Amino acid sequence: MDAFSGLMSGFQVAFSLEGLLFVFIGVFVGTFIGMMPGLGPISAIAIMIPITYSMDPSIALVMMAGVYYGAIFGGSSSSILLNAPGVAGTVATAFDGYPMAKQGKAGKALAIAAIASFTGGTVSVVLLMLFTPLLSAVAISFGPAEYFALMFLGLTAIASLADGSAIKAFISATLGFMVVTIGIDAQTGTSRFTFGNPNLLEGIDFLVVALGLFALAEVCTLVLNRNEKDDGQSKNIGSLRLSKQDIKEMSGPVSRQSFLGFIIGVLPGAGATIASFIAYITEKKIAKNPEEFGKGSIKGLAAPETANNAATSGAFVPLLSLGIPGSGTTAVLLGAFLVLGVQPGPLLVQDRPEIFWGIIASMYVGNIILLVLNLPLIPYISKILKIPRPLLISLVIIFSLIGVYAISFNTFDLYLLLAFGVIGFFMRMFSFPAAPFILAFILGGMMEQSLRQTLTISNGSFGIFLDKPIALSLIAVGLLTILFPLLKGRRKYKVS
Amino acid sequence: MKKLFGTAAASLLLVTAAGCGNSSSGATDEDGNWTPTQPIEITAPAGPGGGWDTTARMVSQVFEEEEIIDQRLPVVNKAGGGGAIGWAYIAGQEESPHHMFVGSPPLILVPLNGQSEYSHEDFTPLANVIADYGAFVVKADAEWDNLNDLFDDMKEDPQSVSIVGTSSPGSMDHMQFVKIAKAAGVDVTNLKYISDPESGGLTSVLNGSVDVFTTGVAETIEQVRAGKVKVLGITAEERLEGEVLSDFPTAIEQGIDETFINWRGFFGPPGMDEAAVTYYEEKFKELNDSEAWIEIREKYGWGEMYMDSEEYAAFLEEEAESMQALLDELGLARE
Repeated sequence: MDAFSGLMSGFQVAFSLEGLLFVFIGVFVGTFIGMMPGLGPISAIAIMIPITYSMDPSIALVMMAGVYYGAIFGGSSSSILLNAPGVAGTVATAFDGYPMAKQGKAGKALAIAAIASFTGGTVSVVLLMLFTPLLSAVAISFGPAEYFALMFLGLTAIASLADGSAIKAFISATLGFMVVTIGIDAQTGTSRFTFGNPNLLEGIDFLVVALGLFALAEVCTLVLNRNEKDDGQSKNIGSLRLSKQDIKEMSGPVSRQSFLGFIIGVLPGAGATIASFIAYITEKKIAKNPEEFGKGSIKGLAAPETANNAATSGAFVPLLSLGIPGSGTTAVLLGAFLVLGVQPGPLLVQDRPEIFWGIIASMYVGNIILLVLNLPLIPYISKILKIPRPLLISLVIIFSLIGVYAISFNTFDLYLLLAFGVIGFFMRMFSFPAAPFILAFILGGMMEQSLRQTLTISNGSFGIFLDKPIALSLIAVGLLTILFPLLKGRRKYKVS
Repeated sequence: MKKLFGTAAASLLLVTAAGCGNSSSGATDEDGNWTPTQPIEITAPAGPGGGWDTTARMVSQVFEEEEIIDQRLPVVNKAGGGGAIGWAYIAGQEESPHHMFVGSPPLILVPLNGQSEYSHEDFTPLANVIADYGAFVVKADAEWDNLNDLFDDMKEDPQSVSIVGTSSPGSMDHMQFVKIAKAAGVDVTNLKYISDPESGGLTSVLNGSVDVFTTGVAETIEQVRAGKVKVLGITAEERLEGEVLSDFPTAIEQGIDETFINWRGFFGPPGMDEAAVTYYEEKFKELNDSEAWIEIREKYGWGEMYMDSEEYAAFLEEEAESMQALLDELGLARE
């Protein structure tokens, strides 16, 4: 079956009454669960798996895919409104989204996030449809050396995530690196910094760190400043309307990051998180007014939101065409496929075209439903800010605890969450930025492992990076981003 | 010392548990036949979606739907520590006949690697149900066509071949390769093994950064059908049944007299009552022979491997000894 008739059969699945109904159910449940602080696509998919047992596989998988990208779509709300990201992919959304909400522009921020998500999602589905067979070659083009180079490039952002002291940003990043080394080291099987505690053997989950450093630290600050007069600003939702100026401003990042995010999403192991960070960094680098980033920049919000949704579609490339899950979430999704007796892999497109193309076609529909569903809901969702502060603070704490407990049903993680809340609070008091910490935490683990894998393969020789064109160019770009500002600074100095 | 601590911790947990509720111990009639009187909780010591979780859920489903056991059998996930968290939880349910968990070789390997204070010795083996096997995979255009080609190269220079698995050295992926390679005469203390928990090894073999992928048989089928990889050998005793599966040569038929079984079975808490053990043995036997279970086995490509409690305990003892010896040789065993 050629791609066109394949896609037509896919649309038949997606546009059947059942198909439409279950896409709707999928994205609705996904976006709803995604909105809850602390709950993300993994919880959403795991909750839905038992429901699919007796369903027709193509319909069931269309729904499960909807749950997945729906949860990423909805995940931005809690980042923007409460500074409480529920998935790693929406951490970067909080960088500019939360400041915007604090300035009384919550409505606008949510609208931007929804439109950026929609565009990222839709553009990437077109790419997915046109290029999946080609892209499966891209998905496997990255070996350990290339991953190391990509992580290195991502880390060059640490300096650019600093607002103020670069030294403090580096200290914060170093802490992130230290925390990520906790647990069993994959390359040797040795446990590191676990102090004999079995709860630490698998390392610390990302969500524990993110909710602690962002949500709980914010709560602490709010409690501490409770006597400060509330100017009413932060309770304002503001207008949903985007001005022409706003649209102009977000069009650049959105169009660029739809592509970049998708490509990064195609790489197994990279995914939405790294895509969103790299999107944020590149947009900050090329922006005319980078100083606005972190203070409520429209570009800074639109870029990661576009990229994480584009990357989500991208993640379907290795999953559908190779049977390789690129992340924890897609691994659970792969489990859902297997339960239904569908084996994703190179032959899926021939063996089960209605499933392969059905999922892709349904994603067009799903993204439209998400936009239609989310935009009118914004005024209601953002009413959350009208909740009296003491109540809101308690809600954030409760949801953070629930989100963390839902990862492994282990109370130990709750103590860790509190510990990171305290660390985050002190970091704020002494103005150490939390973003470099979380960036180092996310990239650090994979960076260390891929470097050691590379060096094992090359018997310890760094020369291997010279033989790998992709790795070499990524490292070169990384070095340039570090050196360029320094050189520019010197030139200015000479002139004056 | 380790054991002593384990017992102390277990009894402490037990005291706490006993203080919290009145857990029923089931009903034993005059002939000493035991029957459950409340739902039986099956623990999967990992998150949803993996092998343990799937096995637990399928067993629970067949027990309930075929009405083999007249109680609900909810599955709970206790993820963490490569199983250690779930095992510690069951160890705390001492003597309870309404708890069990699904186990496999990590139950032996993780404690030997020093990552869990509880091992198979601490629990009550009920029955083994299925067997899975390891496969060694290379890219379709690789220079080796069978295990002997590969091991000949490795005998000359073990470092000339790189091996990737999903989990760390000392774990199942690594040990199944070590066991077979050692039997073929390769110096296994000097292997170039890398672990790739993020993208799982297959990518690295497909793009040529690593030579050999050590994994489970089921994971390879799709890639072989698509002509992307070839399977040099599997760790089963004899060829498996199935469309693609039956093409995979075993190590034994290539003259390497060694196997590695990824057994999967069920265990109760420490000190489970004899009568309850007998009950479960029978029920698992019934499950093993049921149409519904045979269908599930085929669907997931699992082999049949029923063992009752006694056989199982003896088998585990042997497995543990052989793994201990291998880990000692590799310098990976820890106290």
